[in-house]
Amino acid sequence: MIGGLSGIVLASVPLDVQVHDTYFVVAHFHYVLIGGALFPLAGAFYYWFPKWTGRMYAETMGQVSFWLLMIGFNLTFFPMHILGLHGMPRRVYTYQQGLGWGTLNATASIGAGIIALSILTTVINFLSSARSGALAGANPWGADTLDWSVTSPPPAYNFAYPPVVSGPNALWDAAPDQPVVVGLRSDVREVLITQVLDAQPSHREEIPGHSLAPFLLAVATTIGLIGAIFFAWFFPIGLGLVAPVMICWFWPRKVDVIDELVQEQQEILRGVTV
Amino acid sequence: MTTRVIDVSSFPEGTTDSRALIWWGNLGMMVIEGTMFAMVIATYLYLRTVNIDWPPSTVQPPVLFWPTLDLAVLILSAAPMLWADLAAKREEKWPIYIAFPIAVIAGLFVLFCRYRILTNLGYKWSDHAYGSVIWAIFGLHILHVIAATGECGLVFFYSAVWPMTKQKYLDTRCTAVYWYFVVITWLPFYFIVYIVPWMQRKGPPG
Repeated sequence: MIGGLSGIVLASVPLDVQVHDTYFVVAHFHYVLIGGALFPLAGAFYYWFPKWTGRMYAETMGQVSFWLLMIGFNLTFFPMHILGLHGMPRRVYTYQQGLGWGTLNATASIGAGIIALSILTTVINFLSSARSGALAGANPWGADTLDWSVTSPPPAYNFAYPPVVSGPNALWDAAPDQPVVVGLRSDVREVLITQVLDAQPSHREEIPGHSLAPFLLAVATTIGLIGAIFFAWFFPIGLGLVAPVMICWFWPRKVDVIDELVQEQQEILRGVTV
Repeated sequence: MTTRVIDVSSFPEGTTDSRALIWWGNLGMMVIEGTMFAMVIATYLYLRTVNIDWPPSTVQPPVLFWPTLDLAVLILSAAPMLWADLAAKREEKWPIYIAFPIAVIAGLFVLFCRYRILTNLGYKWSDHAYGSVIWAIFGLHILHVIAATGECGLVFFYSAVWPMTKQKYLDTRCTAVYWYFVVITWLPFYFIVYIVPWMQRKGPPG
């Protein structure tokens, strides 16, 4: 929020003229980035750590890490607001003695050290907890989303059967005998398509299986683009390489066509209407 | 203990209408490509604002015969495509066998027109900013005509040699929708390349 407020300050033209290219800007965008991205990212690491490793992290040490980051971050970047207002330019790594910027810069350096300490404690916490933390179980937080309904860590296939969701909070709204979806084919990769608004099942759709084509396409694109840096002729050469690969990719295979025909015959026999 | 289940094995596999994933994938690709077209138009308008004479005084107003024939064929080719599209939705194959070869021939004719236009343009991409942006417009759109014609031909080929399935009908419909896209995107370009130079010439003051 502080980062947002100092953004409004910077959006005011007379003030921006004054503090443009000073440490005020550095303070502003670090408040935006660390408050808006780094803290949520760290929070997400802690939140999904049990799902990821199957074990709980050490709670006290986690709180220590949080406060170290909170204090270190403010200690590092708050003084930069003042330094910027005092006229310290950004992107210049040094300054002359006697400008009165020394104390605040030293404070910021100490803050940076505390941030490093916070990350160090987090890494130690994660490494030791991943090995010897208490077992987390499927849903240590009592959370409502589907990721917490499978074991921690989750199996490679995620869900043995697609779960059915009955409300905005998937797990909280689930009945004790919540149904699962069956009847999707297991010999091809098949997904269930639902309607957009009321999520009623609409139809089944086969999605493509393994293919070498995407890799070959990546190779062809790489040859074309790297070559084009040096010779313009690599544009048509690249196109000439990409086009056949793409055609091979979407070209129907005999086995798939036969499979589609078999499916349609079965649908006719069952009397399915689209 | 028994688990309640929702059995979806009786639901149809695949559709030919806009519920299909690939139909939306096709639409998403056209949004990306459409952004490229919009960027070329923005480039043209930007260059027009920063150049004193536009088009340059050495560029004659374009002759309209071939370009207009090209435009007419392109627009008319959308009609058989629409016919095939609607037929494919009903899973009828004969309109596709008739419309797709017509569209391929129309596409090849459009490419022939573009070849004639470019060889008689009178300036190269390296001559001035106007030449650069006009050649960029042609290059971008010709690439799309080639892609659409090629796709049309290939889809027709495998629709003809293999039995039609829902997947093939869906491929047909996506090809048709892409064809509309190629036709519609040429309209603003035709206006920019052929109408604007006749409407108003921006020249140095006096």
